[in-house]
Amino acid sequence: MTLAIQLPQTGLRRYGSLLSPMAWGALAVAAAVVLLSLFAPVLAPYDPDYVDLNNVLAGPSGQHLLGTDALGRDLLSRLMHGGRTSLLGPTIVVIGSTVLGLLLGLVAGWSEGWLGKVLGRVFDLLFAFPALLMAMLAIALFGKGLFAPILAMTIAYVPYVARLAQSLVVAERSRPYVQAYRVLGFRTPWVVLGRVLPNLIPTVGAQSTLNFGYVLADLAALSFIGLGVQPPTSDWGAMIEESRGALLGGYILPAFWPALVVVMVVVAVNVIGEELSDRIGGKLS
Amino acid sequence: MSQLLQIENFTLGFPGRPPLLDSVSLQVDDGEAVALVGESGSGKSLTTRAALGLFPGGSEFSGTVSVQGLDTLTAGKQRLMELRRGHASMIFQDPRAGINPVRTVGDFLTETLVRFDGLTRSEATERAVKQLEQVGLRRAKELMDQHPHQLSGGMLQRVMIAAALLNSPDLLLCDEPTTALDVTTQAGIVRLLREEQQSRGMGMLFITHDLNLAASLCERVYVLRRGEVVEHGPTRTVFLTPQQDYTRQLVEATPVIEVGGLGAPVAAGSPLLQVSGLTKTYQLPRGDVITALDDAGFSLPEGGSLGVVGESGSGKSTLARLVVALETATSGELTLRGVPRPHRPLRASERKVLAKEVQIVFQDPYLSLDPRIPVGNAVADVFRLHQKQGRKEAKDSARDLLARVGIGPERFDARPRALSGGQRQRVALAKALAARPRLLVLDEATSALDVSVQAQVLDLVEELRDQFGLTILFVTHDLAVVSRICSELIVMHQGRIVEQGPTARILEDPGDDYTRNLIASRPRPLWDAEPVTA
Repeated sequence: MTLAIQLPQTGLRRYGSLLSPMAWGALAVAAAVVLLSLFAPVLAPYDPDYVDLNNVLAGPSGQHLLGTDALGRDLLSRLMHGGRTSLLGPTIVVIGSTVLGLLLGLVAGWSEGWLGKVLGRVFDLLFAFPALLMAMLAIALFGKGLFAPILAMTIAYVPYVARLAQSLVVAERSRPYVQAYRVLGFRTPWVVLGRVLPNLIPTVGAQSTLNFGYVLADLAALSFIGLGVQPPTSDWGAMIEESRGALLGGYILPAFWPALVVVMVVVAVNVIGEELSDRIGGKLS
Repeated sequence: MSQLLQIENFTLGFPGRPPLLDSVSLQVDDGEAVALVGESGSGKSLTTRAALGLFPGGSEFSGTVSVQGLDTLTAGKQRLMELRRGHASMIFQDPRAGINPVRTVGDFLTETLVRFDGLTRSEATERAVKQLEQVGLRRAKELMDQHPHQLSGGMLQRVMIAAALLNSPDLLLCDEPTTALDVTTQAGIVRLLREEQQSRGMGMLFITHDLNLAASLCERVYVLRRGEVVEHGPTRTVFLTPQQDYTRQLVEATPVIEVGGLGAPVAAGSPLLQVSGLTKTYQLPRGDVITALDDAGFSLPEGGSLGVVGESGSGKSTLARLVVALETATSGELTLRGVPRPHRPLRASERKVLAKEVQIVFQDPYLSLDPRIPVGNAVADVFRLHQKQGRKEAKDSARDLLARVGIGPERFDARPRALSGGQRQRVALAKALAARPRLLVLDEATSALDVSVQAQVLDLVEELRDQFGLTILFVTHDLAVVSRICSELIVMHQGRIVEQGPTARILEDPGDDYTRNLIASRPRPLWDAEPVTA
C-alpha cells in the first residue's frame, strides 16, 4: 500500500534545530532582557531609587545613558531593576497556569464521563471572564501589590492551557499506542503521567510561551492604572504611569523606554511562541 | 498503434540527494492497458504524475515525458491545462480526498463542462447523468443532487471515474484506485475500468502494489524498484517467468490462496476462547442503534489458529477489540480459559491478569508504538511489569526477545520513527509477547505492509507461534493471508458470522453466497480462462 503517512513527532525532540533566523533574533532579545534584569544589582550603574533633584528629566548622556526621570532617578537602572518584577510576575503565572492547566486538561481529556464534561464547561466559563477583570476583582479582595494579580492571572490563563491539553489528550487516548498500553495491563496513572503527558509538553509549551507575552502586557497595564506594583518599587508598567506628568510636560523618554521594552519583550516572546507552534503544528498535520 | 505516453530516461530528484527516479523509460500505446507495479517509495506515483506535468516543488528532472507529442517537462501552463482537461485524466486512491464535500456530485461533474466546454447547464447535466449511468450507477439523476458523504467509497470512486471519462480522454492514469476499497467493490471497479478502456480504445496506465490486480487488468507491466525499472514486458511473461531476482521475490511474496498446503496444524486441545451470543451495539446521539457485532459464537482451542475474514464494517475489528477487552460487550458470553468476561470495563488489577492471557498487534505500525520511547525500553517496560524483573534484567530480556523477532541490539535505543514499517511491526510483536500471552490477536497486522515485508512478518508469526505455543486469532480482509496462517476460518458480513469451519473446506466449497462472492472477487490473471464473476 502506498500510504503516505506524515509521522507526528512527539516529545522534546520536536524542538531540536527548528528555529528560523527571526526566532533566533527574538530569542537573543529575550535572553538579553532577562540577563540584564537578573544581574541588575551588579550591572546597573545607579541605585534605581536614588533621587537626584538637581538632575531631573535629563536627556541621554555619558552619565545617564537613557536619561533620568522627574525625580532624577537613572532610567537605565530603573529599567533593569524593573525587569525583575515585570518578568517575575508573568513567569510565575505561566508556570502556575501551565502546571494547573496540564493536570486539569489531562483529567478532563481522560475521563469519558461527566467529569470531563463538567470541567469543559468550567473552562468555558473561565474563558468568558477577561483576565484583567478577574485581576481587579482579586485586587479588591486581597489588596494591591503583586500577589493578587498573579493569583488572578494564573486562574485566568488556566483554561487556555487546559483546553489545549484536553483536546490533545482526547486525540492521544484513541491512538493505538495508548490502547496497546491498556491491553498490556499498565495502570492508567502510569500511562497518563509517564507516557501521554510528555508527548503533550512541546505543544502546550508553545501555547504557554505565547501566554507569557499576554500576561506581561496585562500586568504592565495593571501597574499602569496603579493597581499592580506600588511605588517606589520599579516596574515597567509603573514607570510609564509615573511618567505621565513628564509626558504632558513634553518629556517623552521616561515613558518611552519602559514602553519600548514591554513591546520588544512581548513581540519577541510571540515570535518564539508562534515559531514553536507552527513547527509543531506543521509536523502534526 | 501510435505512441500515447512516452517516457524516456526520466530522472527526478532533489539537489544533493540520490535520485528518486533514475532513467525511467516507459511507453503506453493507444488502446493498451499497462501496469506499473512496485512497493511503497518505488516512485510509481512520481512517474505517473510527471505525465500530467506535476512535479514536486524544488525537484530537478531530466529526460523526456511526452503525451501525444507534448513534452510535459517543457510545456507551458496553458498547454498543460489543455492536456489535463482534454487528453489525459487521472483517478486517485482516495476518492473522498478529491471531491469538495460541501458541493453536490452534479456540481462537481458539470463545472468544467460549463466553464470550459461552453455547454449550457442542462446540456452538461444531461451528459453527466449519461456518464454516471455508463459507469454503472443507478438512479443517476437523484445522485446528481447528493453530497459526497451520502455515497459509499465504491460509489464515489465510480463518480470519480465518470468525471475522468467525461472529456473522453485518450490516456487514463489510475493511481491505486481500488486500494482503499473492499475486495468485492474492487472487483466491480476493475471490471468497469477494463470495459471502458477496451470499448473506448483508451490507453491506461494503472499503478498498483498488487501484482494480482495488475495481472487481472493489464497486458503489459513495468516493475519499478527504488526509482528504476527492473523488468518489463507482457504481464504473463513477467509474472510467470520473471527474469530478475526482485521480480521473482515480489511474485513469491504475493499472497495466494493456498488450499491444501496449509502449514497450520489443526489443534484439538481444550477450548481457550469460547464465545456465544456475543453482541455489541452502539447508541448514536440521535437515538439510532448500530449493531456492530450480532450474536457471534465460536470456540478456539488451545494452540489453534482462527482467521476472521470480512470487509470494512463487518464487525471483525469489534470482535478483536472485545476479545482484548478494549470494548465491553452489550450481551452474550465470552470466556477465556474458563474465566467469563464481565459486562463492564475491567478494573486495573483484572486488566493486568488478562494481559498475560491475551495480547493484540494493531494494523498501523506507525501509530501503535509510542513515538517518544526507544523500542528497547518499550519492550523492557513490559518485562518489568509482568515478569517482575529489575531494570537491568528487563533490558537483557528485551534484548533477547527483540533478537528473536529479528531486531538486532544496535536498534535497541532507536525510536520508532527510525525503523521501517516491518521493523516496527516486529517490535509490536515483541512487546505483545513480552507479557507471555497464550492468545495473540492480530488485527490486520500485516495489511499496511508491502508484500515482501508482509511475507516476512507472516513467516515470523508462524515461527513465534511454534516457539511460544501461541493460539492465534487473525483478523483480516485478505483471504490469502488467513489461508496461510489459520486452520479454522470465520467469514463475517455486516456484523454477523455467515460461515465458519476449516479453512480448506470453506475455500474449496463455500457454503454461503457472500463467501462465494468474496472468493470470486479476488483478482484473476487475464490469462486464466475463468472469467471474473462477482
